[in-house]
Amino acid sequence: MVSIKLDNVSLVYKLHEKLTLSAPDRRVAGPGGRIEGSGRKQFVQALDGVSFELKAGDRLGLVGPNGAGKTTLLKVLYGIYEPSAGTVAIEGKVDALFNINIGFRREATGRRNIVLRGLISGWTEAEIEEKMEDIIAFSELGDFIDLPFKAYSQGMAARLAFSAATALDPEILLMDEWIGAGDASFQDKAKRRMDELAEKAGIIVLASHSEALIQSVCTKKMTLRSGRIESFTTEPRTRAGKPASSNPFSGIG
Amino acid sequence: MIAALNGAVDDISKAMKLHRVWIALAHEDIGDQHRRTTLGPLWLLVNYVAFVGTFVFVFQPAGKDAAGYAAYVAIGLLVWFYLMEVMSMSVSLFQREESFIEGTTLPLFVYVMRLALQSAIRAGYAIAGCVVILLLSGPAVTSSWLWSGAGLLLILLVTPAMITVFAFLGAFFPDSQFIVGNLLRVGMFFTPVFWVYNGQGGVQEYAYHWNPFTYFLEIVRLPIMDGELPVHAFTVTIIISLATWAMALLLLGRYRKQVIFII
Ligand SMILES: Nc1ncnc2c1ncn2[C@@H]1O[C@H](COP(=O)(O)OP(=O)(O)O)[C@@H](O)[C@H]1O
Ligand SMILES: [Mg+2]
Repeated sequence: MVSIKLDNVSLVYKLHEKLTLSAPDRRVAGPGGRIEGSGRKQFVQALDGVSFELKAGDRLGLVGPNGAGKTTLLKVLYGIYEPSAGTVAIEGKVDALFNINIGFRREATGRRNIVLRGLISGWTEAEIEEKMEDIIAFSELGDFIDLPFKAYSQGMAARLAFSAATALDPEILLMDEWIGAGDASFQDKAKRRMDELAEKAGIIVLASHSEALIQSVCTKKMTLRSGRIESFTTEPRTRAGKPASSNPFSGIG
Repeated sequence: MIAALNGAVDDISKAMKLHRVWIALAHEDIGDQHRRTTLGPLWLLVNYVAFVGTFVFVFQPAGKDAAGYAAYVAIGLLVWFYLMEVMSMSVSLFQREESFIEGTTLPLFVYVMRLALQSAIRAGYAIAGCVVILLLSGPAVTSSWLWSGAGLLLILLVTPAMITVFAFLGAFFPDSQFIVGNLLRVGMFFTPVFWVYNGQGGVQEYAYHWNPFTYFLEIVRLPIMDGELPVHAFTVTIIISLATWAMALLLLGRYRKQVIFII
């Protein structure tokens, strides 16, 4: 059964952990997590006592100002960061889209990059082979698929990244804000694919600043502020017949 | 201690299951480094042969010692360049892989193996050049050459551990990247790469006996130069290798989840 359960999860970024011969520099306070400590022992409390549960079919929208802890939370869910305290229990195959360029090699062609990306996600060669044409078709990159990745625009890169990440039907899909990079027609396709994914009883967690996107894709909404959950609500979906805007992805990026 | 060992073994076995990833990435790396060059990776061979040629031309002793010197330098440079490249690339390994480490859940040992394989492929070109030089320059081909092969294999086996140790060093102590770089540049003169130790005293005596790299060189060089198994050099190298692996497992087990927070 696909599920996510976080219990009292905290994450602290320690600064100046490195041993260095140079004098410690001064950090300038900004928005976001709380900066504590001083001199060598500064740290940022990026997540603070976060507990929630998601089950199959849930689509969670993560909102909150810059530095609220959205990206950090997604990376904890993916398993990149081990929480400083608390427990994370995840059932299901997770795939994530954080940064368009991660896992892509500039010099390699789109096709070769799909292979690499697949291997990194733990797919077998047979699975990659089987999905290749689907991924290329979905990305609509046409002949560009055989050009080096460095010749792609950001939007084209986003198409490739999204197509590859969703091709093997991940049970849990995590997405950070950048998903707005594609053009309108691709975003419609992307949204339909996310719907399919959620209908197959998967879980989607999507961080975004776009209220419209969250409303059109998500069934739940969690607001983070300074690493704490400010609110967690179940949203009535507005999408059926009444999209919040004709292009739910606009205004992000 | 036990937990650290379990963690390390877990990381390594996951990386071994993902062997296709590091094999593919290592090949991409080699390809990228030589993209749009006419000779491609053959430049590695040219580079090596040019170095050996220069050293032989400048330092070849006169008289009866002259005969074996080309073979001596060829093997010395082969092993030294390999070790030097591995170490200098390792100290910045995790920093170079930052975007992958922050964006994927690949075990750290995948990056270690990626570099190990890449270095081995590059060394392959130098080995081809080395074999040609050996055949041309004359030491008799005997069955003890197999010991040299075993020496090379031992070096390959300790490479992932060396990479791991230096990668953690570079991540937790960034100044070490420059320190190691400088030491390696100087280190060549304190290692019997191109000078020959014949029992003379002074600096060279210490540099010969107390430099761990001496033994890595000698396990490959002595079987071919002397035609017999260098037991002492093999023993020392095996002890150093085991110690390096123990350290690598400890670091990997205890600190692998911390790396992301400090790079
Ligand atoms: N690698 C890092 N090192 C130190 N602090 C970090 C790091 N990444 C994020 N932070 C801090 O953690 C807090 C949460 O950041 P993040 O999760 O990126 O927020 P969001 O994605 O909501 O904008 C911020 O205060 C940010 O400054
Ligand atoms: Mg963010």
